[in-house]
Amino acid sequence: MSTTMKNTTEQHISGQSLQLLDAAKKNGAIHADAVAICDTGDSISIRNGMVESVEREDAQGIGLRAFVETPKGLAFATASTSDVSESGLNKLAEQVIAMARISEADPDAVPPVGAQHPTAAEMQTWAKKHDRTDCGWTLDQAKEAALECEEAARNYSDLISNSEGADASFGGSRVAYASSDGFVAEYAKASASLSVSVIAGTGEEMQRDYAWHRAFNAADLHSPQQIAEEAASRACKRLNPQSMESGEATVIFEPRIASSMLGHLIGAINGRSVLQQRSFLADSLNEKIFPDFINIEDNPNHPDGLGNRLFDGEGTRCSLNQIITDGKLNTFLADRYVAKRLGQQPTGSASRGLTGDIGIGSSNLIWQPGSQTQTEMIKAIDNGVLITELIGFGVNGVTGDYSRGAGGFVIENGEISHPVQGITIAGNLKDMFANIEMIGSDLTWFGSSAMPSIAISGMTIAGE
Amino acid sequence: MPKHANHPTPDSQLPIAIETLQSVLSQMLPAQADDGDLYIEHGVSESLALEEGRVKHVSASTHQGMGARVIKGESAGHAYTDRFDNKALMQAGQSARAIAESGQSRAPVNIHQADHAPKALYQPTNPSEGVDFLQRKLLLEELDTLARSLDPRVVQVFANVSSSFSDIHIIRMDGRHIQDARPLVRLNISVVVEQNGKRETGSAGGGGRFGLSRLADGEEARRLVHEAVRLALLNLDAHDTPAGNMPVVLGPGWPGILLHEAIGHGLEGDFNRKGSSVFSDKMGQRIAAKGITVVDDGTIPERRGSLTVDDEGTQTNRTVLIEDGILTGYLMDRQNARLMGVKPTGNGRRESYAHPVLPRMTNTFMLAGNDNPDDIIASLDKGIYAVNFGGGQVDITSGKFVFTTSEAYYVENGKIQYPVKGATLIGSGHEVLQKVSMIGNDLELDPGVGTCGKGGQSVPVGVGLPTIRIDELTVGGTEA
Repeated sequence: MSTTMKNTTEQHISGQSLQLLDAAKKNGAIHADAVAICDTGDSISIRNGMVESVEREDAQGIGLRAFVETPKGLAFATASTSDVSESGLNKLAEQVIAMARISEADPDAVPPVGAQHPTAAEMQTWAKKHDRTDCGWTLDQAKEAALECEEAARNYSDLISNSEGADASFGGSRVAYASSDGFVAEYAKASASLSVSVIAGTGEEMQRDYAWHRAFNAADLHSPQQIAEEAASRACKRLNPQSMESGEATVIFEPRIASSMLGHLIGAINGRSVLQQRSFLADSLNEKIFPDFINIEDNPNHPDGLGNRLFDGEGTRCSLNQIITDGKLNTFLADRYVAKRLGQQPTGSASRGLTGDIGIGSSNLIWQPGSQTQTEMIKAIDNGVLITELIGFGVNGVTGDYSRGAGGFVIENGEISHPVQGITIAGNLKDMFANIEMIGSDLTWFGSSAMPSIAISGMTIAGE
Repeated sequence: MPKHANHPTPDSQLPIAIETLQSVLSQMLPAQADDGDLYIEHGVSESLALEEGRVKHVSASTHQGMGARVIKGESAGHAYTDRFDNKALMQAGQSARAIAESGQSRAPVNIHQADHAPKALYQPTNPSEGVDFLQRKLLLEELDTLARSLDPRVVQVFANVSSSFSDIHIIRMDGRHIQDARPLVRLNISVVVEQNGKRETGSAGGGGRFGLSRLADGEEARRLVHEAVRLALLNLDAHDTPAGNMPVVLGPGWPGILLHEAIGHGLEGDFNRKGSSVFSDKMGQRIAAKGITVVDDGTIPERRGSLTVDDEGTQTNRTVLIEDGILTGYLMDRQNARLMGVKPTGNGRRESYAHPVLPRMTNTFMLAGNDNPDDIIASLDKGIYAVNFGGGQVDITSGKFVFTTSEAYYVENGKIQYPVKGATLIGSGHEVLQKVSMIGNDLELDPGVGTCGKGGQSVPVGVGLPTIRIDELTVGGTEA
């Protein structure tokens, strides 16, 4: 299987991008940039010791953003296609130019020329260190890992009653970016992942939980045994939940749950949301939004992160962003357009799909850990909840209002007393950020983010 | 090759040569396969977005590809490719076969058109036809002007119009060729209002499987603008929501998301076959109060959740899930139906050729009852009247589900007191419908905005509900 992956990824997709830029120019584009991708992947699911599914993907696509001169200034449009034949590319270029001509000019438009690109030497060094086309798994090896993981999870305890299966997947992706100022770059990524989900209890008492891990090299994955134990022990511990009384309490978010706070922070400091007045942090630049002991960085080159990158979706070189130092918000995240509008530097945060608007995204987000263990954090709480599950989408990014379904474990006088389910926790993100009382030492990586446990006081619990 | 009395599909109808597809099919299917198919899709989509008074974002995409599936017992092999060259197509077939041991292949088949094609529930034309980019741009600009004219507190307007058209060919194991051409349009308006430094947002949307011209004639679009502005201004005055257990009245239409989350997912065939749903083994049992009937109906013309045939080529149905409170039906694709010994219900859906088939909902709603909606609200001593919702989610194993209000009011002594902030409501799917004590006579379907996520796949769906009273639900407010 890995041999076929090599065959299909050895495409000249930078060549396709350049060809597309040419076609755009011929059709009347003043400036343009193009992104080409090529993904291949395999995955296998095992349930009750049998193969439940085998999947294989073989995807390709190319996207174009082209700028044209209009009487009112520069206007642009974007489009993509999975037909990368010569006629497909020409058709795409024609389509984008026609669309750009009806698009409204924006006086602040930033065409893809003159970005702070990485140097050729930097690109070479990066490629040597980071490029990979193979994560070291064959379909048979992936199957073995999934079989072992699923069996270990089912056999973890007599309480495990059913399995939703284990999945092992691996694949590679090749991405090329080219802009009409002559910058062209291509990189390759590969990774493997293993996950399992099992059910404890029966009938109306069933509880399910899961665990997963992803790594660049299959050899670096957590062992099937470790992933199985995590999923199965979590499902068992959730059995026989009760509700709890409504009222105010301190909650601890375990790392898996706490990482959602990184998402809310990034959403709120997305420069585009700030421009659009759709962020509860729109007026908080250079203000203290967290207690003193909180530091958060967006690090594009970290040995443990899966979000490493040399340049962003506009070819801007990425560097370390200290987003929060000593509780203070230092920067909004910006692509070149947003940076111009906000009067700041681009932060290398342009995130690019094949078509549509350029988005804003982080590389590796790291919330610096504290010194207390989670047990020590629990000991310090009289009345609280350790949250291990959140469901629903009750977060308003404009106001920061927060209300989500939750489950976990009740904390009484510094001890875990019993599992709880069917409650909600509510507050406002601004207050929740300010009310963080403790940070754990248990920094845990989830692909491209790393998060410790955190304790937040003053949340409203709704239960019985 | 075996002789076929049926009409062979002409080469011109498919984006890949028939001969190629026939060799992919015969080479990928082992003799002992239970099922298998090829799914060929060509789709186009277009979107225009307005912000800060300008249509700044015009985008389009074209995607085409083929998915190949082989099914044997509980195992499924699925492979897809974006490439239409021989080598890539044959490779996809071979990869899909990976679940089967090597062995004999099936006898070759002729690809032929299916008899009795069901009547299409929507026009097989690109919905953007007849409404060019410029007209769409002018529409968005008009809506922007309207929103700003409605109230001086409107500081931002976002408007988005999108359309897509998907041409789908399903070729079954026996060579039967089933085709569907699916239009889909959507218009969304969202505004930000500001008053004394406080900002709030409101949004409204609508759409379905019909031509853009229906949205572009403006009346429905203008109604959506009024609705978005009304919601945003209402939220400026919203009070804190109470926290705890209380009676809740749900308004008609989109609050039907309750059904989608609380019971719909739990009744999907895959979860029930595997015994991972809280509703497994509850067939024939009471899971809702008397008087409650819930259906999943994919056959309503032009609805967002409707399909003429599902993604396995099965004609869609009206499936009664709950009849007078008793569980009567599950939602089935072909594989789960075969394994459970029942008929497929036309609910086998996939986001695209690049995704495997799963049993999914179409349009899920509760039939009307006899109560007057005003009486239902008036029955609340102290509680919440929720009219509009954002998203929801469910854990089908524990049955816990949530959905989040975007327009809700506090009611005391039967009278609406004031609007309250968005809050999450949480309950148990197997209990909530047993606590329904009043059912309104005002069934409404949602305006065509639902998207359902499962297994990483998104598909358009619909929901519907009459006004109902639920005697007890946990409300996740901030005021304990």
